Amino acid sequence: MAEQKPIGIYLCKSTNGHADVLDITEVSAYARKIPEVAVVWDTTDINLADVSMAASKIREKNLKRIVIAGDTPGYFKSFFALAMVAAGNNPTDVMLASFKEHGATCFADTDRAKAILYCAVNDIPFETASLPDDTEVHPDTLVIGGGIAGIQAALEIADANEKVYLVEKSPTIGGHMAMFDKTFPTLDCAACILTPKMVEVNQHPKIELITYAEVTGITGDPGNYRVRILKKARHVNLATCIGCGTCAEKCPSTAVSEFDAGTTMRSAIYIPFPQAVPNKYVIDEEACRFFTKGKCGVCVKFCPVDNCINLDEKDQEIEIKVGNVIVATGFKTFDAKKTEQFGYGKYPNVVTSIELERLVNAAGPTGGFIKLRTQDKKGNWIFQAGTEEPKSVALIHCVGSRDENHNKYCSRVCCMYSLKLAHLIKEKLPQADVFEYFIDMRAFGKGYEEFYERIKEERVHIIRGRTAKVDDADGQLLLRTEDIQNDKILEQKVDMVVLAVGLEPSEDSERLSEMLSIKRDAGGWFVEADYNTDPVGTYAGGITIAGVCQGPKDIPDSVAQGSAAASKVLQSIVKGSLKKGVNDVTLNTIELKVTELSTIEEGK
Amino acid sequence: MSTRIDPTLAVDLRKFGKAEDWNECFHCGNCTATCPLSETGFLFPRKSIRNIQMGLKDKISTGTEPWLCYYCGDCSDTCPRDANPGELMMTLRRYLTSVYDWTGLSKKFYTSKSWEFSAIVFFFALVVALFVFFLPPSQNLFNGNNQLLINEQGGVMINSLVDGIGDTQFVQLIEYGDWTMALIVASLLISNIIRMWYKVILNDKSIKISFFAYIKEFWRLITNFLVQPKFSKCDKKTYWVGHFLLMSGYTIMFTVIVVFLKWFQTEEVFDWYHPQRLLGYYATFGLLAFLIYTFIGRIKATDQKFKYSHGTDWLFIVMLFLTTVTGILIHIFRVAGMPLATYYIYVLHLAVLVPMILVEVPFSKWSHLAYRPFAIYFANLKKTALAKQN
Repeated sequence: MAEQKPIGIYLCKSTNGHADVLDITEVSAYARKIPEVAVVWDTTDINLADVSMAASKIREKNLKRIVIAGDTPGYFKSFFALAMVAAGNNPTDVMLASFKEHGATCFADTDRAKAILYCAVNDIPFETASLPDDTEVHPDTLVIGGGIAGIQAALEIADANEKVYLVEKSPTIGGHMAMFDKTFPTLDCAACILTPKMVEVNQHPKIELITYAEVTGITGDPGNYRVRILKKARHVNLATCIGCGTCAEKCPSTAVSEFDAGTTMRSAIYIPFPQAVPNKYVIDEEACRFFTKGKCGVCVKFCPVDNCINLDEKDQEIEIKVGNVIVATGFKTFDAKKTEQFGYGKYPNVVTSIELERLVNAAGPTGGFIKLRTQDKKGNWIFQAGTEEPKSVALIHCVGSRDENHNKYCSRVCCMYSLKLAHLIKEKLPQADVFEYFIDMRAFGKGYEEFYERIKEERVHIIRGRTAKVDDADGQLLLRTEDIQNDKILEQKVDMVVLAVGLEPSEDSERLSEMLSIKRDAGGWFVEADYNTDPVGTYAGGITIAGVCQGPKDIPDSVAQGSAAASKVLQSIVKGSLKKGVNDVTLNTIELKVTELSTIEEGK
Repeated sequence: MSTRIDPTLAVDLRKFGKAEDWNECFHCGNCTATCPLSETGFLFPRKSIRNIQMGLKDKISTGTEPWLCYYCGDCSDTCPRDANPGELMMTLRRYLTSVYDWTGLSKKFYTSKSWEFSAIVFFFALVVALFVFFLPPSQNLFNGNNQLLINEQGGVMINSLVDGIGDTQFVQLIEYGDWTMALIVASLLISNIIRMWYKVILNDKSIKISFFAYIKEFWRLITNFLVQPKFSKCDKKTYWVGHFLLMSGYTIMFTVIVVFLKWFQTEEVFDWYHPQRLLGYYATFGLLAFLIYTFIGRIKATDQKFKYSHGTDWLFIVMLFLTTVTGILIHIFRVAGMPLATYYIYVLHLAVLVPMILVEVPFSKWSHLAYRPFAIYFANLKKTALAKQN
């Protein structure tokens, strides 16, 4: 430091209307420790109606500069400029340390507030001092999650000739999109769009696909991460399995099919669905008799390939080095049992939208025919071919969404997928009455409003009003709703009720957010670096987010984010360096940076 | 016809209860549909919320909907916006009570605690003063002739505790007092119900109600007053049971005191199975059961019904509790043969009872005993008239 310039600080309290505010006492204590600072005033020390008093205080301490710190420090600037003139100083020597503007709003941001103050004291712009450093980047990339967003991101990067590891928790990639029959609003066949991309991922020389695996740990710095991945024992050799299906035919154990959303059963050794990638079998240890009871091995006996099925295989942990990580962990659907009033789990023909997606799918439990759930010989309620069709179906919107008792946010896709399902029901059962009960119809995207108009023309009964309860009525289901537009109570009997369940962050998101140091919002979704201008970046350097894990969104938006994340990654790889994240900019690094910048200025 | 908007309606209503939540409402209709009492033509609570948000003061004051609600709390429990529709209906009932009341006292009592307390203290002091100056304890209590006040069963001869004025006996004086009080309360309630009838029925030019319909639907007034069949339609039946215990207990007590006082307040202490005592025991049980249930509910404040207790709610149950306890004590002291204690507790009993009746029944919480059956009666008149017209 050259000459000591005595500085006075005027520190305002932070009041953002919440309980969670900056720790101003700590900021004040920090300010007193800065060598140049001669005095720290709080709001009670200065009478804002008395310029001459302030001027005498400035003269008394012989202050050469004033720093006003607070949420809106500019408000006091003119007062202190006058006081500085009155004290015989330069009015331009009044600096502002604006906490709110630079993103220090809550208790956790107290260190940030200190850094903002430190920059103002040293007359260095906070934006300059808080800019993260560049760091070298490893050219390989890890994508967590093999849904449509992850697939898109992986393909974009791999097509640019850079190595990608794609880690997927389940035995196949494809995610939720593979379960859907059609996409809205174009009514394209979802599988026809997705499966070629899935195959491409598997065959791409630059993509290393690691399915049935979880990321268990991450160490290192941005641009140079070491990631530990737990590969769960598949018990089937990926290289030699020919996918003949003999093992599944002979397998004596059964389990609920995740892919069919619980509407069908599968064997313990299985492929999730015929187009799965990789198209290789896997043993579900929780269902397999060998693992639950200790003896079986039927599949090993019947497998035509030698040593293909290995029941002794153990989980295996591998470690990879990557420069960037793209998180695309998607969502899970809301558990409809939580909304007791709709009777899901109590009445067999109250189904969730994802179950209906499978039901209308030609590869689904009934071969694409919409059937009522009926009892089989054992008494289980299942969908089966050749049974009765529903003559009337009601769809209830906003199940678990826009609800203070469950999730407050709008899940964004339910209105449109419900309209799509209404269309598909009408297409397959033209005589059926289809009712939609909605609160607000959110048809916000390109072609969506037109789609809504189209569904209305298809004579679907679209009723404004949230259904309050579903009751049993002589084997049918009775819905009670206020028909708001027609000013009456509607008591409608239908054969089947479809609950348009909302989206929730997947189970792993809490664990991942801690592991990767990325924040989650009140709904549990990952927080982006900037809502408007950096929707796929995070505060952690080299970590990007894509798809629904950032917030509910439809397929086009997820794909767009997948591409956006890939472009962010490619940018760093092409440049050869990566900007560290906000997480890496600590009070200490800012102090060092300020010292460095001040020295440069003095040297000029 | 033009519609008048009152932009300050929501602000005014805020004084009548905890009701800042209704702007949260996004009009999904869940509350209306979940309510077992809401029906086409009488849709609530959502439409009431709408009316408030729009400032439709006339629609609120001419509607019967708030009285059709018995506050089971299902709507608030399941409201996706936590907009508290149930509490809103409660607030509207308080508001409507003040709208019907021509004296303006109801509004004062609901919106100002000092007004309500002052009124209660005034009547308390009035009753005590009346006893001190006109009905002091009998001289027999102090000149050693205590045994003159004890009957053969060893109980207190309650009507001899006070000598009376001139030839008029003590019990007769109390009966005159009861009748005066009943007359005041009845005339206030009846005049307010006429105002309600004017607002709800006569104001509505779209319907015509024949004289015959008034007679035909009259039975609803009686049944809804006596057994609250609508309340029993709510999913939570315990509320109805508790309310019925209170209502039946109190009605019995009120009737025997106002109409059959001479049969009820006797010199002789009857055996426990005498109807006089059995009725008293039933009423005491009903009151206590309700009071304990309500006190626990309001203190715990977990049920929607008991979550947002207004000052007047507390005052009501506290006054009722004091009345019940002093009533029980009269009985105990009387049977135990303690003449002086009986006298003092008798005075205290009346000093609590009179303000409770004079404040709560015409102006405050208890006015619903008249408004609710009449609202249901009027609503049914409207319903039948509309059915005929369509």
